[in-house]
Amino acid sequence: MSTPVPTLPQKPVDRYKWFFTAGVVAVTLWSALGLDAKWSRLLEAPADLWTLGRLMFTNMEIADLPDLAGAMWESVSIAWMGTLIASVFAIPMSFLAAENLVGRPVAWVTRQVFNLLRAIPEVILALVFIPVFGLTPMAGVMAIGVGSIGTLGKLFYEIIEGIKDEPLEASDAVGASRLQRLRWGVLPQVSPELASLVLYRFEVNIRASAVLGVVGAGGIGGDLQQALLFKDFGTAGLGLIIIVVGTIAVDTVSGAVRRRIVSGPTSGRGKHAVRFAVTAPAS
Amino acid sequence: MTAPSATDPDAATLGRQAPTLPPKPGPSWFAIGGTIGAIVMTVVTARSVGFSFGDVWSNLGRPNSVIEGALNPDWGQIWSDRSRSAFLETLQLAVLGTVVGATLALPLALWTTRFGNPNFFLRTLVRSFNNVIRSIPDLLWALIFVTAVGIGALSGFLALVFFSLAVTTKLTSDTLDGIDMGPVEAANASGAGLNQMLRTAVVPQILPSYASFVLYNFELNLRASAVLGLVGAGGIGARIEFFRGRGQWEELWGLVFMFFLVVLIVERISVSLRRRLV
Amino acid sequence: MIRFEQASVTYPGGVEAVKGLDLTIEPGEFVVIVGLSGAGKSTLIRAINGLVPLTSGRLEVNGVQVPELGRRELRDLRGDIGMIFQGFNLVDRTTVLRNVLMGRLHEVPLWRTLLARYTQSDIDIAARALARVEIIEKAWVRASDLSGGQRQRVGIARALAQEPSILLADEPVASLDPPTSHVVMRYLQQIGRELGITVIVNLHFLDLATAYADRIIGLRDGALVFDGPGSDCDAQVFEDIYGRSLTADDTMTKHAAL
Repeated sequence: MSTPVPTLPQKPVDRYKWFFTAGVVAVTLWSALGLDAKWSRLLEAPADLWTLGRLMFTNMEIADLPDLAGAMWESVSIAWMGTLIASVFAIPMSFLAAENLVGRPVAWVTRQVFNLLRAIPEVILALVFIPVFGLTPMAGVMAIGVGSIGTLGKLFYEIIEGIKDEPLEASDAVGASRLQRLRWGVLPQVSPELASLVLYRFEVNIRASAVLGVVGAGGIGGDLQQALLFKDFGTAGLGLIIIVVGTIAVDTVSGAVRRRIVSGPTSGRGKHAVRFAVTAPAS
Repeated sequence: MTAPSATDPDAATLGRQAPTLPPKPGPSWFAIGGTIGAIVMTVVTARSVGFSFGDVWSNLGRPNSVIEGALNPDWGQIWSDRSRSAFLETLQLAVLGTVVGATLALPLALWTTRFGNPNFFLRTLVRSFNNVIRSIPDLLWALIFVTAVGIGALSGFLALVFFSLAVTTKLTSDTLDGIDMGPVEAANASGAGLNQMLRTAVVPQILPSYASFVLYNFELNLRASAVLGLVGAGGIGARIEFFRGRGQWEELWGLVFMFFLVVLIVERISVSLRRRLV
Repeated sequence: MIRFEQASVTYPGGVEAVKGLDLTIEPGEFVVIVGLSGAGKSTLIRAINGLVPLTSGRLEVNGVQVPELGRRELRDLRGDIGMIFQGFNLVDRTTVLRNVLMGRLHEVPLWRTLLARYTQSDIDIAARALARVEIIEKAWVRASDLSGGQRQRVGIARALAQEPSILLADEPVASLDPPTSHVVMRYLQQIGRELGITVIVNLHFLDLATAYADRIIGLRDGALVFDGPGSDCDAQVFEDIYGRSLTADDTMTKHAAL
């Protein structure tokens, strides 16, 4: 028993997808062929990595622990102070970048400032601040502080643009001034999210501050680099473990606090869904 | 209750006596703890980094060659042979690191989920691995690979692969938590194998987000690849380090500004692509 | 007193929401405005406190010409006019008391409002407003944890805390069920009668309008088509206002029975 096969309608062509794929393939090929890397060494890399790992993790000495832990604490401190400084600037600036609060031209200009600050990595900013503050943790604090204004400001104004307009209308209707409108119409709506984003940025900044020492701006990165440079692999291994453990510990505590902040005291009733996922990329 | 009846007009018009509010509840333990914690943390860390407003003020006010260089950058620097090839190398590193790292991230993300990796121990193992690689910053990967594999672009490439792996895996697995389980059930009901199920029921659901994460990761990698060279892992960072060592701030800033102009343009393109994806 | 003279509002898109309106409302009146959605009810009410500017004509409120007011004077006027919204417009994340204290913003010095240091007399005014709508026991509860009817009572309390001479209510019961709607309407009626405040309410449901209004104003396509006491308002009048025969959707009791 055979029935004729019905003909499917013609498959539509998705031009966008096609261009996208072709573009990715072309750029990848250009990069792979153009990059002057010793690809032959790639095969040996796993063995090299294994050797380095063995050297690092079998020669650790507990005597190094206090120094390295202190250096990690310095990194955490740099991240905290930097985040704090960035927040002090980013919060007022983000009000000036939200289109629902100020006109488009003002918002546009503020956003360009954010974009510029966001583009420059902290390590590069540290290069700038080292000649100003010397080889001290303060150079790191300023690098993190200035570098985070852009990202924090961007996250902040996205939250502010997501608020409900109705309370703003209510504050206008009672005759509130601009500042009162910000304080009572806007701030209560966004403050939990802003606090949570500050903590989130603190977590991200710990990763940044852990490497600032590479250029001499304080923290554990410098110790690690010195150790690797002078083939003191045991110290480097212990340092790496401390960075990983310290970062995960801060993430865990800070993450728990953030969830509690955003869900509020009535979280048990599930009424306030988390309005955003801080892990989502800042577009 | 001493409060007058709410419908008593005198209470409101004459204001004879204000009704009493219920007693104000105290702040929550969380609020008290959070405030104290934040203050203590700030005081202790400020001490640890030697923070003082006076120093910040006086240091920033002092004229210095770095800022002068930034005000008078050498725009032509990017066209010099060595800077141009370092610049291209940076772009190529970012592309390759993203492509390889993000490709590997997809299976790794699937293996962190209950439906994609039913074995509890394997799942925990993959999750721990993800957490560990996520806690190591880009430049640290570069330091490790430069030590293990040697100075050069290969180390930069490997560093970016691991950095991308960490970022994209995390973002993708968060998305996987929120997918519709209906198709998964349907695929399992039709007798599909684990990988068939993942390919047909899960991947199509997350593909647009995943693609958007990869582009986002590429933006991050562009910035990261600029500093890899500071530790000898290839790209424009080596030139930056070179100019820094010699105090040639005009050249350094010319290069940095041009590079981040390109980053901004690429990022704009990437952001608009991402908007269309999701 | 509120007096519209040849007042028109045209939105940027070209929609004429209110056309050549002439209307006078005396102090202490309880006025209900009825009409289809899109008839210009919300626009009319928002013109009174200047949330929507007139495009032509004159509008006098409490002795001042609204279209001529500057920013500062407009805020002074708004401080004297309470407003109640369909969607309550509360700040969900903060307490009931703080929402009500928003009604004091115009009277309190800026620094006090920014630091949330209200005086006892402001807090007393808020407490009285809360007591009037019988919700004082919820003063420290977060607004998001209240039911719809309770939230609208907080909305009324916020407006009362302004100690206004005029109260505007834009579809105050549209988001509420019938019994709760009656509770809210009774509060508004009481406030008008006992405090001598002018109350202007937009309503969709006809039976609610006739039950509570001293005076009904019918709008159709932005123009006044009826103005008279509630008792004059029969089915024929409503058909003029709505441009069609009444349906079950137009009365709350029948609507609720559906």
